[in-house]
Amino acid sequence: MHIVVLAKVVPDYEVPAADFELANNRAHERYKRMMGLYDENAIESGVQLKEKYSASLTILSYGGKDDIPVLRKAVAMGGEKLSLVVGDSDDPNVIAANLKMAIDKLEDVDLILAGQQSADMDRGVVHGMLAEMLEFAFIPQIAKIDREDGQWKVIQNTESGSRELKFGGNAVLSITSVPENVPRIPTVKSIFAAKKKPVNELAEIEGNTMPIDEVSVDIPQIESVCEFIPAEDDIAEAAKILLRKLREERYI
Amino acid sequence: MKTLIIEIIEPKRLGELVTVSREFCEKPDIVAVGAGQIPGSFAKAYQVEDTVASNLVSDLASLILKEGYEIVLLSASTLGSGIAAPLSIKLSAPVVSEVIGIKPELVVERPLYGGKAVATYKLKKMPAVLTIRRKYFESADLQGFTEPTLLGPGGKKVELIAETEEKAEGIPLEDAEVIVSGGRGVGSAENFSMLQNMADFFNGAVGASRGAVDEGWVPPTQQVGQTGKIVAPSVYFAVGISGASQHLAGIANAKCVVAINKDEDANIFKRARFGVVSDYKKIVPVLIETLKEEA
Repeated sequence: MHIVVLAKVVPDYEVPAADFELANNRAHERYKRMMGLYDENAIESGVQLKEKYSASLTILSYGGKDDIPVLRKAVAMGGEKLSLVVGDSDDPNVIAANLKMAIDKLEDVDLILAGQQSADMDRGVVHGMLAEMLEFAFIPQIAKIDREDGQWKVIQNTESGSRELKFGGNAVLSITSVPENVPRIPTVKSIFAAKKKPVNELAEIEGNTMPIDEVSVDIPQIESVCEFIPAEDDIAEAAKILLRKLREERYI
Repeated sequence: MKTLIIEIIEPKRLGELVTVSREFCEKPDIVAVGAGQIPGSFAKAYQVEDTVASNLVSDLASLILKEGYEIVLLSASTLGSGIAAPLSIKLSAPVVSEVIGIKPELVVERPLYGGKAVATYKLKKMPAVLTIRRKYFESADLQGFTEPTLLGPGGKKVELIAETEEKAEGIPLEDAEVIVSGGRGVGSAENFSMLQNMADFFNGAVGASRGAVDEGWVPPTQQVGQTGKIVAPSVYFAVGISGASQHLAGIANAKCVVAINKDEDANIFKRARFGVVSDYKKIVPVLIETLKEEA
């Protein structure tokens, strides 16, 4: 069994809005680079499958060479091989086409896991595109994966609960976050071991870009002015004032 | 423009897509997913019983090409995200997900960087596939019903074995006028009962941040934020929630945010209308007591 996890390195997604700035319509370069949060859930899910079913596990990314040290964290968590298609496009069609090229080279891939959406583009479309390009089924928002009687059995989270789904063929699954796939913290030993692993670098192929134009990217201003209600001395009074104000302004 | 809505039969979600469709056409067509009557008046309706997204993509692509649809609308939901991207490849169509704004001349807006930025795109080719973020458009009132033509059944790759509805006590999160939401700062699953107690006084609902869901204190169906529920209540109490942009993306349309947080520098106070710098364990019981006295 061969599982591939797609991972993307992004600018620090915890930078607060007040400190966030753009350069050329993208996050300023000064922010720390890190693995996308759902990508980490996907890696954790992949490592768990590797442990449970003795699968082999490849981490695949499309991006810059500078991000290799961050990608090694995925290897330290339990990935075996690391492949990087070197490129810098944000276009989902181009990214998906390049990931497909890399998957085709890996040949015997059974299951592809990806984060439910990247922590920079917030799109959640690349994995679905890749699935269709590979003619794999695409199933989003997966919380749990098991193998039973030669079939995959997965739990998908929906808006109102969850679904249990079963399929036999290949698939791309997008992984959501649940307590069971909170990413593990790699040991120091595995971090050092990961540093020595070779990286399989692949040259980018030219993919068709999506027929849309990016007109602009703006940072919306938050216009709320907070009225602080003093609560140090008299907490009962603070509670009364808050409720009175909510009523006066007809919120409740 | 010839517009097709693809959505499960849920009046609020359908209504939002009908509102969006009016930017493109007078009366859209629909593919209704799942069983039941189709509320609202559509030019043409199709119905498909299978609710597994990946089983539907092929048939939907054929229908869209045959009928010459130019705009395809889905909501940014588990179903919508399961269909949109594969469909776009089948159609060689552009796809823009999580759309929050639509302007003339096929210009659409969507968030980037966890809601810290908004990108504006112009669609250059038809058909185009859009998934619409919930609660950013008013839900149109749907009158009457439309008789459908049955679509499919297509090739079944993925089988639905069971569906579990998370039992929500009281009013659904998306419909609540008051939401009391807790984050990591709440500290435990037990402590959430205090928030529930407070929500009950307002006939409201309890929400949570991703942090509280990851801790296992609250089921994922109660998560509020860009990857959880998008809500638009009259009052949103954010209790022990730092206010990451990904969380704020879920409450952009809340009328009044009340932040209760120990940390006066927490980002949530930048979005709040009212702020109380306090341990929630002190103020929330007093708020409940005050409400009890008034009742």
